[in-house]
Amino acid sequence: MTVPRPPGRDADQVDALVADRYLDALLAAGDRHADDAPADAALDPALRDAARTLRRSLVRVHPSFRFEERLAARLADLAAAQAQPALAAAGGGALVPFPAASRVGLPRRDPHAGAADPLLDAVLRGDLDPSDEAAVDRAAAVPVDRRPLIVGGTVITSAAISIVGVAIMAWRASRPTGRSGAGVMGRAARSAHARSAPARRVAALAGLDLLGPA
Amino acid sequence: MLDRDRHLVEAARRDPAQFDALYRKYLAQVYAYAIYELADHHAAEDATERTFLRALAALPRFREQAHPEDGPDASTFRVWLFRIARNVVANERRSRRRRPAESLELALGAGLAIPDGTDLEAAAVTRDEAAGALRALQALPDDRRRALTLRFVDEMSTAEIAGVLGRSEGAVRVLIHRALGAVARELGHDRGSVS
Repeated sequence: MTVPRPPGRDADQVDALVADRYLDALLAAGDRHADDAPADAALDPALRDAARTLRRSLVRVHPSFRFEERLAARLADLAAAQAQPALAAAGGGALVPFPAASRVGLPRRDPHAGAADPLLDAVLRGDLDPSDEAAVDRAAAVPVDRRPLIVGGTVITSAAISIVGVAIMAWRASRPTGRSGAGVMGRAARSAHARSAPARRVAALAGLDLLGPA
Repeated sequence: MLDRDRHLVEAARRDPAQFDALYRKYLAQVYAYAIYELADHHAAEDATERTFLRALAALPRFREQAHPEDGPDASTFRVWLFRIARNVVANERRSRRRRPAESLELALGAGLAIPDGTDLEAAAVTRDEAAGALRALQALPDDRRRALTLRFVDEMSTAEIAGVLGRSEGAVRVLIHRALGAVARELGHDRGSVS
């Protein structure tokens, strides 16, 4: 059956509707392992060819099994923290309120784990609706909450720092002559201890703000 | 029942560990959307991770909004999840704007779904055709590319895409129609250049 086509702007809508019906049929045909479906006679053959080509070519790719299981484990950690806030706070005692526990409660399981999400805390607190485009854009545009911590006599703030990371930094800051730790965090800690200008550049690379005396 | 995922969503609300079932169900769809949008395997993994972590964190505030006219296959959870994914991916695309665009063909590993038993000549034609389709898709403006990806890769209905993109169904139909026209012209140019 051919859809009648009114003149003007409505004609665009009718052409779009004809194409939409064909796409519905084409996608449903795929479930039956068919590679085409009946089309309205008014459908432009070039559009039909393009749709069939896209149908064959735009395959759904799967992530690796390793990634799937790693993320499943991180979700399980977060689920456990949501279900039992007391357990989440156990490692940090009263120092770590529940929302922040999500940050320290999601350990890096391997060095290729993804970057920390600076907006996750706001979502957990209920301050941010992650499905709201405008709200997410606003939140992504402003610096996230930075809580100051004192390490080696210098005030350090970071949105993504963990309690474990702070402990490592404090330990390294207490050993300013040590050379074994070559990581960015170690360099940042030693630099903070020395309160030198280069320390600020290194810390900036680590995503840290050093607010101590110059 | 209005939403096909209602039971899974309610179970996950009672016990967040049950979110795993929703995660397994939609992982490939979200990852596929992300890699088609970002053309980068690692960036797609990061975006997928953020999407699911944010979804789990916000699940207590998710509200089912399916209507009877949406049909038995409607899932407002899937639409909500993809709205989160769209926001994550849009932020990632903005932050990557200064970097040169990656090839979608390379990002997908040029696997391009060559079925078993296909002879080599046919496989080469299929691969060329798929490569052309990917180039045509990648050349589209953002909203058109996004709509075609949701339609063909994630097999969403026009109503679902409208929910994800925050547009009317009529607007999405026209968007997809124009995108198909652009792809048809691009593929026509490809064929013309070969012959």
